[in-house]
Formats: sequence, structure tokens, C-alpha cells
Amino acid sequence: MRLVGCDEEAGRLGLRLGQGLAEARAICPNVIVIDEDQAADHRLLEGIADWCDRYTPLVALEGRNGLFLDITGCAHLMGGEAALLEDILNRLSQMGLEVRGAISSSPGLSWAVCHYGDNRVVRDENREEALAPLPVAALRLGPNTVAALQKLGLKRVADLMRTPRAPLVRRFGAEVMLRLDQACGDDEEPISPRRPVASLSAERRLADPIKSEDDILFVTRQIAQCLLSGFEARGAGGRLFELVLFRIDGQVSRISAGASRPLRDADRITALFTERLASLQSHLDIGFGYEILRLNVLHHEPFESVQSDLAATDRRHLSLSTFVDQVAARLGPDCLQTYQLRESHIPERAEIFVPAIEALPLGKQMPETPAVLSRSERPLRLFRVPEPLESFAAEIPDGPPTRFRWRRLTHQVARAEGPERLSPEWWLDDEEAATRDYFRLESTAGYRFWIFRKGLYDRDPTQRWFMHGLFA
Amino acid sequence: MAGKAMAQEAVFALRETIARMEGKNIRAFDTSGDRAEEIVSTQEKRERLPFEVDALDQVLDGGLPLDGLTEIRTGAMKDAGAASGFTLAIAALVQNERNGISVGQGVGNGLPILWIADRLAVLEAGMPYALGLMDFGISPQTFLHARPRKLEDALWLAEAAAASGAFAVTILEVSGNLRHFGLTESRRLSLRAKTAGRPLLILRQAGEEEASSATFRFLVETAPAANRYLADGTMLGGSIGHSVFRLTLERSRNPTPFSLLLEWNSHDRRLSIVHTPAKSVLANGTAAYSGSDLSKIVDRSGAAAAMGTRLAFERAS
Repeated sequence: MRLVGCDEEAGRLGLRLGQGLAEARAICPNVIVIDEDQAADHRLLEGIADWCDRYTPLVALEGRNGLFLDITGCAHLMGGEAALLEDILNRLSQMGLEVRGAISSSPGLSWAVCHYGDNRVVRDENREEALAPLPVAALRLGPNTVAALQKLGLKRVADLMRTPRAPLVRRFGAEVMLRLDQACGDDEEPISPRRPVASLSAERRLADPIKSEDDILFVTRQIAQCLLSGFEARGAGGRLFELVLFRIDGQVSRISAGASRPLRDADRITALFTERLASLQSHLDIGFGYEILRLNVLHHEPFESVQSDLAATDRRHLSLSTFVDQVAARLGPDCLQTYQLRESHIPERAEIFVPAIEALPLGKQMPETPAVLSRSERPLRLFRVPEPLESFAAEIPDGPPTRFRWRRLTHQVARAEGPERLSPEWWLDDEEAATRDYFRLESTAGYRFWIFRKGLYDRDPTQRWFMHGLFA
Repeated sequence: MAGKAMAQEAVFALRETIARMEGKNIRAFDTSGDRAEEIVSTQEKRERLPFEVDALDQVLDGGLPLDGLTEIRTGAMKDAGAASGFTLAIAALVQNERNGISVGQGVGNGLPILWIADRLAVLEAGMPYALGLMDFGISPQTFLHARPRKLEDALWLAEAAAASGAFAVTILEVSGNLRHFGLTESRRLSLRAKTAGRPLLILRQAGEEEASSATFRFLVETAPAANRYLADGTMLGGSIGHSVFRLTLERSRNPTPFSLLLEWNSHDRRLSIVHTPAKSVLANGTAAYSGSDLSKIVDRSGAAAAMGTRLAFERAS
């Protein structure tokens, strides 16, 4: 058992990372030891990353205990780089975290300064003088490389800067020079943000946290109005919105809601979240209230400005799409569905269900004529999975049964139409798939069924019969 | 004099409002005076959907109300096909009617139909099938279905759909008599439908009669179909023609019991009356099981028959 992390107090007592637990106990008998839980650490780091979204949308995780924030173009919103750094460090320390931070023009230099220097903003002109006195470990090199460099007497980054590059590359590979270039800003290093950047985003920071659902919706409506000019500049409307709620104690909730057609209107955007909040009520822990609300547009599409005509067609489409959005926001996008026909003669493959939110306006992809022109009548209700039934006294080889038993009821067949023979789709199914002979039956009591026999009599004498649908 | 006229005016207006709320015939209690014409004209505004079957339209006071709740019930799940058929026939007629209006105004696509399915009924009888709908005379393009997980969600959906006015018909399918879907909920749905002026159909599979706020309630059973007609007008023996339903009007303002056989012609999209059933074999619950029949005593109802006139049904759930 080894120490993987220790606080300031422990450091002062002489405990080090990587030390054995027995040794640590010998130095300090009453040391409090907690088992490492990497998953929980990762969750905490992600939570902090979410919280950092308030400064910039580009937040990346670094290793097990670091975050990279790309604050390009964001610093002036917080009153300059120094003020931004101070704000982050203050707020995180107040939450009880031990934090260090640095701002510079390259991720490598920030990492080096923050791990081996002090908390500060490094200007472009004094990059080299900030980096030079740091130990070589500040270049994010592996422990073996660091040890080997130290053996050679290359202890500081300044030593490396003075050494000719070629011999070092020959001996240690390209990594050392790459890291040095990255720290100096000579080599571009990308960071990988956790979330995609929203195409449009607006937020409100509140002096006093809000707690009630009505207040949240009221502020959401105001933010949505701010988005309007952005939409108009792009000629777009939002299809997928995300409401980010920053709780005062650092927890961040994200609520997303989709729309069936591009939206601009603040009222309709707010209506989406009204339904979402209603359905989330039990899951959303408002706690002490939210201090920042942000509305992101994750996906936008060209917005067709429609001029309403006298026949009010548009209003009708509008009311349908409003209803579809309302349902999708409250009950999920899969609840409300519509049909799409596909070219297949296997009955259950001829239709698929499509979420209505993706299929509006209705009927845009549907061909007017069915794929198969000559076919017998189809049942009004179809079983997703055909139900096996027991048939008695079927005519051999191709006839319908005279009696059959389904769901423990025996039905006497009065009339039958058929068979309609449907061959399997060999290009999809394997060659073993059986031919189906469909019959439309009417029982003596007047019930109309759609049943089929699987397989042909001369190949498979054990006849298996299935119920597949009900006629009106 | 003028004051008296004003007061009378106010009384008439109030009576009209009350009558509208109760769905009553306004002409019935006031046809005297010069307001008769005006009253008649307001009544005609109350939309009805004529079935174009004289016998049925007469009993229904001119047809199915287009701004209210109508219940369609089956006694057992095995009639689910027939009841779905009759419900969708009404939906097709309403859609026709609405389209008829909108085509006059030069608009293309009709209003869609919403089918709110019930989990149990879907397991027992399957989902409406797109090609089957097409054969039945309904375009699957204008057919939306929802499968909510809970009854509360289904009721919310029905209410929101009726209120949105986006649908020609909203069909809410439920199975059996549910404890959380009683008179209060049906009253609420009925008011919502009335305000929006859109019909709402409750399709109750395998349910008992119970008090509800529907204007009409039908009991639908299946009936043997007629044969198919050949081009020369004769029938093709042994074939199965258009769907036939036995319709019983259980709840209406008209007290006489009323039952008839209706046939749905999916090509013309209209209902017509069947006078002589194709065959007289109508098994009324006998020999449905292949095993031995239960003795009659088991089937007897537990409670003594109610005395006096029945005013309302008790809750069956």
C-alpha cells in the first residue's frame, strides 16, 4: 500500500507520494488513511470541469487531477486574466479544494508554472524567463527520462535550452524536444474539450439565486429573447436546446429539449422547458437555488420565415408541431410516432415507426402509391410478433384450417380467402426462412382473422400456424 | 319597456349558454317569439357529423357531435378488431368532413388522426397497421400514434391533443374500467374537447358500462360480413366482403334501445346499413370454449337486481 495523495499538513510532516503506508505510519502514527477511489476522483474532476463551464465552454480534463481551460476571448468578460485566475482560485478554495493555477499562451507552460511555480499569469514576453528556472520534470516527461536527464546534470529547463538539440534527440527520442517546444509555445498543442461548443449561447448571472420553477422559466424566457438576434444573423432557428443550470454550491444540471422544426420564438422555447421541468421535477434538486442560467443551442437549422396565408394552413402546422414538441419534451421523443412505409412484401417489414418529431411535416417522405400494387387486403391491427395457434383439419396441401384454437378459444372457420403466398426475402434472411401462406378467415361468430402457415406441406409436413392480425 | 326586453334578452342568452353546456336541443324549450330563427341558426353552429344512415342520424339528433366526447365500448377483448374498425371509420368520416371544408379553401393535406394506444390492448390486439389503415380508407401519412407508459400520461396526451386543435380526431384507447379514469377525468376531457371544438373518442376495450360524461356510448360487436360484390351486382359466394359491426347505442338522450348492423365501405368511405345478415349464425357466447360449458348457476350475478329506475351507472372499476 502506497500513498497516492496527501494534503499540506502531511507534506509538512515529511510524508511523500509513493511512500509505503507502513513507513508513513511510523512517521506519524495517527495518520488518517482513506482508500483510493479512482472513479469517485474522476467524477469529482468532471464535476469541477462542469462548474468551470461558467468561464469558458472549452474545458478539457488533464490527467487525474488537472483541467485545461481555453480562455481565448473569455478573459475580458471577467475583468482581465489576473482577475479571472483569482476568481477561479478563490471560488474553488472556498469549496475546500486545494487549487493551483496559471495562465499563459500555451498549455505546456501553464502546466509547468502551475505545478512547479506559483499561481500567476505569464505574459508572452517573459515566457522563457518563467520556464528556465523550473526543473525538467515540469516538461511533463516520464520519470525514467527525468532521472536520466538529471544524471547527465541537466536539472533545469534552462540547461536543456542551452544544450544542442540533435544529440538529445538521438539519445532520448523526439519527446523531450517536443515537450520543450510545446512549453515554449513554438509547437501548437491542441486540448480536447469535453463538450462540443454550442453554436449559440446566452446566459444570465444572477445576484441572488432563484429557486422556484416559475423564476427559472421567466429567466429562460429572457435569455431566449437574447438569442433572437443571433438566430436572425444566421437565418436559423434552433432544433436542439440545452439549459445549463449552475447551482450555487457548484453542482451543474443540464436539461436538453428538442423541437420538431427550427424555433426562434422565446415563448415556444420556454414552453419546451416548461414540459421538461414538469417531467423532471422529482429528479431536479434545486437545493439553495441557481445562480447562473445558460441557454445553449446545440443544433440549428435554416429557419424558413413563413408568411401566414388566409386559410390558416400554417397555423395548423404550427399547432401540430407545437403539440409534437410538447409531447417530446414531456414524455420523450419516442412516445409519439408516425408510420413510414418501406418496400417490402413481408407484412411486418413494410412499416416502420418513426418518432413524430423527426417526421414533420407529415407525409414528406411517404410515396403516394404502395410498393406492392397487387396484394390482398391487410388487417387493421397487426401483431408485432405472430402468435402460434393450433389448427385442426387443414386441407392438404394448401388449404385453410376448418377449426383452430387461439388463446384457448376454438374458432370454427365459416369462410376463408387465400392463400396469398409470400416468399421470404432471401437477400435479407438466410435460405432457411420459410414461405408463408396467408389466409383471411371469418369464424362462424363473425370474427375476422389473418393467419398464416409457415413452410410448405411437401417440404415440412409439420404445419405451424400463426395468428398475425385482426380485421375490423 | 326597453328594460323588460333587455332582461328577456339576458335570460335567453343565459338559457342558450346553459343548453350549450349541457349539449341539449335548444329548440326544444323555446321556439316561441321572433328569436326562434336566431336560436335555430346558433344551434346549427353546433357541429354534427352525419353518418348518412337515416336511422342512426335520427337517434343521434343529426349525427355525432364534433365537439365532445363519445365512448365506444366492447364487452370483451375479442371484439377489439371490430371496435377499432368502427372507431377508425368515424375518424375517416371526420377527416373527410374536415378535408371537405379545407379543400374548399384550397388547402392540401388534411388534419391528422391521433391514436393513443393502451399497453394491454396492444399486447392483446396489436397496433394499427399502416397498410391495413390504407386498405381501410385512412392515409397512414396522417396517422400518429402514441404509446404512453402510464395512464396519467395517456390522459395528459388526450387532453393536450384535444386542446391543441391540431387533430381531426383524438382516439384514446383504454382497456377495462380503470380506477383513475372515472367520471371526473372524463368530464375534464369532455370540457376540453368542447372548448377546442374537436371530437375525442374513447375506445374502451373489454370494459363495463360506467358513468361518464360522454354524449353517446356505443357498444360494438363483430358480425359476419356480407359476400363480396361482383361487377354485375351478384355476390361471390364464400368470399368475405366489407367489415360489418353490430352497433348498440347504450347511452343517448333517446331512451329507446337501438341496435343495428352497419357495414363500412372502405372505397367510398361511408357506412351503410345491413338489413339482412349474410348468415344467421350469430353465436351469442355459446360454445366458445371447447371444454364442457359451465353450469348456469356460476354465471349468475351476485347482487340482487336494482329496484326502480336506473339513473346512472355505478362505477364499474
